[in-house]
Amino acid sequence: MTGSINSARIAQLALFELTRMFLTKRGLIALVAFVVVWLLILRYPIGEAVSLLSEPGFTSLAQDIFGSLGLSKLLDWPEAEFAMYWLAALIGFPTFCLFMCSDQTVEDRERGTLRFISLRATRLEILIGRFIGQLSVLLCLVAITLVATFTIMVYREPSLFMGGINRAVGVFIQMIFVLSPFVALMSLINVIARSSRLSFVIAVLFFALGNIVVNLLAWQISALTALNYVFPGMQIELIAGQNASLMMAYGLPVIQTGLFLVLAHTLFVRRAL
Amino acid sequence: MSTLITAKNLSKSYGEKRALNNLNFEIKQGAPVALVGPNGAGKTTLFSLLCGYITPSSGSLDILGHKPGSAQLFNKLSALPQDAQLDPRFNIDTQLSFYCKLQGFSTKQSKIETLRVLDLVGLKEVAKHRAGDLSHGMKKRVTIAQALIGEPKIVMLDEATAGLDPIHAREVRTLVSELCEHTTFILSSHDLTELERLCSHVLHLNNGILSEHQTKADQHSENKQYYTLLLTENYHNVEQQLMTLGGVKHVYMSQHKEYVIEYQQSDELLDIALLKFCHVNNWQYRHLVNGHTLENQIFKQENA
Repeated sequence: MTGSINSARIAQLALFELTRMFLTKRGLIALVAFVVVWLLILRYPIGEAVSLLSEPGFTSLAQDIFGSLGLSKLLDWPEAEFAMYWLAALIGFPTFCLFMCSDQTVEDRERGTLRFISLRATRLEILIGRFIGQLSVLLCLVAITLVATFTIMVYREPSLFMGGINRAVGVFIQMIFVLSPFVALMSLINVIARSSRLSFVIAVLFFALGNIVVNLLAWQISALTALNYVFPGMQIELIAGQNASLMMAYGLPVIQTGLFLVLAHTLFVRRAL
Repeated sequence: MSTLITAKNLSKSYGEKRALNNLNFEIKQGAPVALVGPNGAGKTTLFSLLCGYITPSSGSLDILGHKPGSAQLFNKLSALPQDAQLDPRFNIDTQLSFYCKLQGFSTKQSKIETLRVLDLVGLKEVAKHRAGDLSHGMKKRVTIAQALIGEPKIVMLDEATAGLDPIHAREVRTLVSELCEHTTFILSSHDLTELERLCSHVLHLNNGILSEHQTKADQHSENKQYYTLLLTENYHNVEQQLMTLGGVKHVYMSQHKEYVIEYQQSDELLDIALLKFCHVNNWQYRHLVNGHTLENQIFKQENA
């Protein structure tokens, strides 16, 4: 139950999460479903949008629409596929994360498997290991979709090869910061919930009801608007259009992630296994 | 013998209910220790405290100089928690190798250790099977195998033989007696005959209160001695007839066809006389136990 840390054990716990995703039947089915959905997204919404954006007659309309949404900087990206991918990924991956990370520790705890593990790793190591593992799985999926987007883009315009690599790396790094607080939130919810289904429901309620409650409170006392910073993804609207400050883009997600993990650990060490 | 576990004024409450009440005990290295008691007595709560799954409400527990759940106990203390299951989606060897790696084994050593512990429980051939595909008994034996990874100093088995067929239950008992030279086992079971065979130190929990017993080998220190005789049939006036034997002080029927004979220590060998007496009276006997059976000791205490 102590809070000591052993990096080798954390690495093993994280690696086991990758095994769960890529080497079990259930994980592979989820992976195939994910790939199919993203192929459809790349083929239709992204593919069609790129064709439209490339048409000269549509440029001014696109500038109006993107400008009104604060996304005009995206039109400056020569890698149009990545601009569309970026928007789809910012909405798709956090939502997928809530579903995919709904079983971080909860099912193992209810089944008793966590009892075997806790005789070999501290609870802090389990929490951090699972967090890193689940984040790594998500980032693997991000990487797969980035490679697919890159391939489509280079197929359309081979001269964008080098620029595309830089853009893909930039998007990947930003996705790490976007997704971290969502995974950490699910680590916390997993400590509280009694099943993976319930943890998903709690996460949805957290965002849906949480936003309503904060808005109501902020309506009474305007200073309470600051409570919005509790919600992961609060900065997505700003970073989507590349308009966020460094603090918003990177600082806020790091703070949120840290807070969720500290809270999760505090509850986890008090919880009976 | 060095002390492995020390509990001082240990209590655990769940709301209003006191599951364990001020326990004080020591467990020393050596022969297996039995933890017995009726359902709801607090056995699993005590196991959970020892494993660090829950924290005590008051008092202290010291295991090899460390608190339960401490990282210093990894590799030294292992357990088969009651009802805990492996992940049904993974192969057995994948999961056990994972546990080995958490305990510091290399990938190659993990594979060897996994097969070693599976071999100990006679399940080497199911290494590639998924946990969900195994029968209840096999799952139980695999979870016993995980407790043996790395040859820990202390292994706690909560209801290890529950749900096992007699052959495999016996294999587990044999395994425990073979390994107890290097490992101290703490066993919880409702099968008192099984515990009596394996353990000399018995921790008896009832309503959260602990008492300790010694099994037959240690009962000789008392001046009064006992035999427990189990006959195959109901015979007439057994108690009265046994009282006629020299040295016998008191006889009572402990349960159906079973008699406890209290006698005064002397140079006479009463057990030989007792068996001859059975032969003369044409009584068929099933077994003769030197001392009280553990079951009778516990039954007497719970009904006191």
